[in-house]
Amino acid sequence: MAFRKSKIVECAVTAPSFFWLTLLFVIPTIIVFAIAFKPADPYGGVGGGWTLHTILTLSNPNYPAIIWRTIWISIITTLFCVVLGIPTGYCLARVSARWRHILLVLIVVPFWTSFLVRVFAWKVLLHPDGFLKRMLVALDVLRPDSLLLYNDNAVLLVMVYTYLPFAILPIYAATEKFDFHLIEAARDLGATRFQTLFKVFLPGIQRGLITAFLVVFIPALGSYVIPDIVGGLSSEMIGNKIAQRTFVDRHLPHASALSALLTLAVLVPLIAIFGMQKRKSKEPPTLIETA
Amino acid sequence: MAEFLRFEEITKTFGDLRAVDNVSLSVNKGEFFSLLGPSGCGKTTLLRLTAGFEQPDSGRIYLNGQDITNLPPHKRKVNTIFQNYALFPHLSVWENIAFGLRVAKRPMREIKDEVARMLSLIQMTEQAQKKPAQLSGGQKQRVAIARALINKPQVLLLDEPLAALDLKLRQRMLIELDLIHDEVGITFLYVTHDQGEAMSLSDRIAVMHLGKIEQIGAPAQLYEAPRNSFVAAFIGDTNFFEGRVAGKASGDYSKLNIEGFPDVLCFNDKQINEGELVYLSVRPEKFRVSRDKPEGNGLHNVVPGRVEDVVYLGTHTKYWVRVQDYRISVYQQHSRFLLDEKTIRWNDDVWVSWHADDGFMLEYYSESDEKLMELPPEGVGSLSAPPEGRTEEA
Amino acid sequence: MRHSRIPLFTTLAIIFVFYLPIMVLVVNSFNDSRFGGNWGGFTLKWYARLLEEQQIWEAVWNTLLIAVGATLVSMVLGTAAGFALHRFQSRLQRLHFALIYTPLVIPDILMGMSLLLLFVALNVELGLMTIFLAHVTFCISYVAMVILARFQDFDFSVIEAAQDLGANWWGATWRVLLPLLAPGIAAGGLLAFTLSLDDFVISFFVAGPGSTTLPIRIYSMIKHGYPPLINALSTILLLVTFAAVTLSQHLSRSYQKK
Repeated sequence: MAFRKSKIVECAVTAPSFFWLTLLFVIPTIIVFAIAFKPADPYGGVGGGWTLHTILTLSNPNYPAIIWRTIWISIITTLFCVVLGIPTGYCLARVSARWRHILLVLIVVPFWTSFLVRVFAWKVLLHPDGFLKRMLVALDVLRPDSLLLYNDNAVLLVMVYTYLPFAILPIYAATEKFDFHLIEAARDLGATRFQTLFKVFLPGIQRGLITAFLVVFIPALGSYVIPDIVGGLSSEMIGNKIAQRTFVDRHLPHASALSALLTLAVLVPLIAIFGMQKRKSKEPPTLIETA
Repeated sequence: MAEFLRFEEITKTFGDLRAVDNVSLSVNKGEFFSLLGPSGCGKTTLLRLTAGFEQPDSGRIYLNGQDITNLPPHKRKVNTIFQNYALFPHLSVWENIAFGLRVAKRPMREIKDEVARMLSLIQMTEQAQKKPAQLSGGQKQRVAIARALINKPQVLLLDEPLAALDLKLRQRMLIELDLIHDEVGITFLYVTHDQGEAMSLSDRIAVMHLGKIEQIGAPAQLYEAPRNSFVAAFIGDTNFFEGRVAGKASGDYSKLNIEGFPDVLCFNDKQINEGELVYLSVRPEKFRVSRDKPEGNGLHNVVPGRVEDVVYLGTHTKYWVRVQDYRISVYQQHSRFLLDEKTIRWNDDVWVSWHADDGFMLEYYSESDEKLMELPPEGVGSLSAPPEGRTEEA
Repeated sequence: MRHSRIPLFTTLAIIFVFYLPIMVLVVNSFNDSRFGGNWGGFTLKWYARLLEEQQIWEAVWNTLLIAVGATLVSMVLGTAAGFALHRFQSRLQRLHFALIYTPLVIPDILMGMSLLLLFVALNVELGLMTIFLAHVTFCISYVAMVILARFQDFDFSVIEAAQDLGANWWGATWRVLLPLLAPGIAAGGLLAFTLSLDDFVISFFVAGPGSTTLPIRIYSMIKHGYPPLINALSTILLLVTFAAVTLSQHLSRSYQKK
């Protein structure tokens, strides 16, 4: 009997995805942690036995700097995305349905195009011989010898560009559910604009803000392509190091140790927020909005 | 009449909640039977058990002599009208109605004929190709009825079918439902929280509360002779007075002691013993307020009070009269006779009177009172039928 | 009350910035000069050159092959998962949900790295097959979430109605559940398809010789290649994307009308 809530049906519909993800997601993650304690063999593979050597090399002064940069670039990216996402989400929630549809499509469509193409487009735009640089120099905003590309600022700019829609959508979804009479009520009760924003509106769209934080900060921590293409040698993030150890040096244990570190860094905010929300409601944060 | 649908000691729990608690009940063939009660009383669960969407923890369900307790929904000869109609949004009106015959793999000719017949019954032949989203609430309702009836069910289950309609439409559908019931002659099991619907449609009503049946009877029986204070309060409005049986008066009447009141006479059909605590229940329309003390004929109770509120409602006027600790609600019709009198106003001193037959004593009710929770014995109808003498009053 | 204009201006500015690099790219693909700084006259020569690049068309074929396969498999697995998550509230489903949700937020590079290590550990030869397996892994989660969202306003009483009218579980699934879920399954499939087409990081980690996908090809062109060719290729991809978006919008609108 299919729609009676029987255990057999539950198992039948749960098993395929459950086993697939266990085999190709959970077990590989465990392997990452395991291989971090393995030595490398000279042929680019994984040697036998166990060692702490790889983990210990992480304290090499080079790494803390990279880890620190990864964290602050991710934090600043997230801050920019959320701060820009709030007025945009507000605007989307307040305009007429017709305009909302048009604006949403306009916001989403660029991000249906290839991610690499978008990063490349910025590389072209910011290129020393590129359009933007020439224009800014012509307008006397920039000196001709200044560099737009291959530095931390370029990485930040492209990261904000890439992750902004992921912040806008959950903030918009939360704002749309917000009861705007509360703002009128707050103003009516004597709150200033500033107070209304911080005491009524932002707490009201809290769920959206948390989701926005989650879906920007965590992927940002794992950025690899953006610093690789528009960043300089001094703007490497953990992702670049993982790729470098994997493809250039072929030192898999080293790459594993870094991945394990990154996994932990990602799980901490994730579990913290899930724990926080579990107490409030059972509903998961809205991750996918179908426009 | 033969019993047709029978529930035997049905219990259904959801976690800690006893949604249906040891209910036994029989519905007769062709009857329009209602399950009435506040939300959460178990009426919908009982309906879903009948349809086969839920399985009872214990107890059996029989339909026309056959034990259907373990049959899956699609093998039961019952069909359901869902509260929100549950029309298939991706199918047209025609396809919705044809659904049952199609899954039964009936020949196309027969399906066409039957659907056409149903469409004309609900007067929606024109709308056959429309999708449910294009229909009004009343039309959806009619499609839901046709879709269920085309399978020729032995019992039609209706789950608050009018709840989603606005008042005007509800009144019209009420009449249509009644007509359809008369026309097809099948058994209707109707779930509602609206006593008005249940009273106007049903042959018999089972009033449910907290998973148990409080009383089963014809609408007039429930109104005029409720078995307990829950039924009295749930069906219609009533005033409750707390009192103690003081002693026998003449005939079947007892004297009642209510704090601050002169001795009150009340018909004692339940043979409640002297000294017991009881509730006296009197419906608002059974009272009469007047400026002058009415002349009693020995069976009239008369108490002095003061008007605290007057609400003019067109068809009648509602008074709130303070008598000692009680605020009595009174509905009084306007008549030439009363218009000639000086209108009763706020803060006037008045006399409140009612006939001893119009009050009924109810056993003192408390949650733990198991006696009241007991099911009525078989042949409920005759037992709680109003005794002679009570029906004669105008 | 006076409404602030800041939100509107911010939104319009953001939309402008969203399109700026893309526009420059498109314009440059018709630019005769090699770098985009100055206009060297209109040309289609980069497109002509692109047609001769055999490797690109091979990569396109690989990409489509993987995307179609991964979409179909993840549609089936993801729909079942979404149904399970919505219909059952057990401890198993809470674990299941965590399993489905985590891949959505975990950075690509971690998934790529861990899958690479799995395939290395199991001695699986890297190639189209490993990319396909990796793509299904992340697509399941997206499809499941879309289906789960669709279920939020799905009224299960229609399923009961179908059974009530005599349909057995197969009939109810086939005649009612699947037709009603179809738009959600299609939306999930579309999402999976675009994600698979676009994935670079994970594919890059689990790709082997001869299994170059289009994003991997574009990446190596960006790193080592010739910018004008990428401009032209990007413009074609943009056109395809916009056509797909328009078509899907059109389809969903005509579906709603019906």
